[in-house]
Amino acid sequence: MSTSSSRNPLELVDRYLQAVRFWLPKNRRQEDLLAELGEDLRSQIEEKQSELGHALSTDEISEILKRCGAPMLVASRLGPRRHLIGPTLFPVYEFVLKMVLLWILVPVFIFIVGPATLASTNGDWGKTVLVTLGNLWSGAFVAAGIITLVFAILERTHAIADINCKWDPSSLPPLQKPERKTSFVQTICELAFNVFGLVWLLLVPNHPFLILGPATAFLKLGPIWHTFYVPIVLLTVAVIVRLAVALARSQWTAFPLWSQLLQTAVSLILVHYMIQAAGHTVQGDWHPFVTIADGVRSSEQYVRYTTIAAVVNVSLLIGLVGTWLGVCIGGAVQTWELLKHIRKNRSVSQQPASVQLR
Amino acid sequence: MSNGSQATTEIFENLKLELRRGCLTLAVLTQLRTERYGYTLRKALADDGLEIDEGTLYPLLRRLENQGLLVSQWREEDKRNKRFYRLSPVGEQILEQLLGEWQRINTSLSKILQEA
Repeated sequence: MSTSSSRNPLELVDRYLQAVRFWLPKNRRQEDLLAELGEDLRSQIEEKQSELGHALSTDEISEILKRCGAPMLVASRLGPRRHLIGPTLFPVYEFVLKMVLLWILVPVFIFIVGPATLASTNGDWGKTVLVTLGNLWSGAFVAAGIITLVFAILERTHAIADINCKWDPSSLPPLQKPERKTSFVQTICELAFNVFGLVWLLLVPNHPFLILGPATAFLKLGPIWHTFYVPIVLLTVAVIVRLAVALARSQWTAFPLWSQLLQTAVSLILVHYMIQAAGHTVQGDWHPFVTIADGVRSSEQYVRYTTIAAVVNVSLLIGLVGTWLGVCIGGAVQTWELLKHIRKNRSVSQQPASVQLR
Repeated sequence: MSNGSQATTEIFENLKLELRRGCLTLAVLTQLRTERYGYTLRKALADDGLEIDEGTLYPLLRRLENQGLLVSQWREEDKRNKRFYRLSPVGEQILEQLLGEWQRINTSLSKILQEA
């Protein structure tokens, strides 16, 4: 099958060289290399002609060019080695990119930008998720672009080249302590503490003194307590079950990590709804956590009791917001621990048996 | 071809490439004790069982020339311009050292293979 309409089959070589030239940087060195490649191809054609005893057809020349390779590939081999970020800098680039995107940008969007957007959209969750994800995508794109640009500049300027000279073994970080498993005693203590907490919780409705102390004389538990009492009791029971399973099945190394993360997620949802419920004011009467006992409403000290109730309510709300933040941070740490565990397990399962035995 | 055997072939090809890289430099320098141009050099290497494609040879020649191991000259032969290469005096010295090193590696490797 003829592949060319040209009358001179050797023109195919010039066309081939032209195509290779297109992919090469325009400088004298590359022109020199091209001239040598052209000479090499012509020598091959010449030798084939003397072997066959006739001038080569377009198809026969095509065969020689095909053997040489596609123009773009040949240019990539002839041209200088080019990369935006070289092998020396690439591991650092990858590390920085992961750190910024996964451990800075994502938590910032989940724990700061997300709640701020939720507030600005008046609690519209659907809109908040869409807006936050959209902003996260643009933020990640811009951050990745800036990091790549900075590393490309470092690569070009060889700013990292003198690191090897300045490197000092004494500046190496200390050995990491081996991963410490949660001790048996610690789990027992946690279990005992939670059982005690559950008993306390179950007694509180009939003995409010256990939570309000002497203030029971003029304060009583507010509406939030009644709304969230059952979920709090259920969560405490779930924690006790989790700790009991962790004790009974100590060989399940991943169980404490993911079950604790699940518990944190449920706690986060619960605390979130408690804060939201505390924000609602019924006819200007804001007593979400504690309210004035019925028996002292006509007392002379009513104003003083109202002030105390307000202080307690505000303090509890601040405490609840603090708890929400703490649980968020705890959740981030637990996620990190779980990911570390998964990665470690994967790398162990991929290692050859001889290495695992060490 | 299954994924496993494909991966094995790829590993083998990469290792072969690494093994060949140093040997090719040595072979090219040795061949250029006599002046040659690119195509005849490729042919000489192929005749001795060491095939090398254009995309590998010409950048290698240019690198060796930049390192001062080769000298080159464009000259007309058979009505065509060709670039002729030969070893420079520095190249001759380095080649002697490299051949000595090669002999040492070869002896060690033979010993290791006999012991295995």
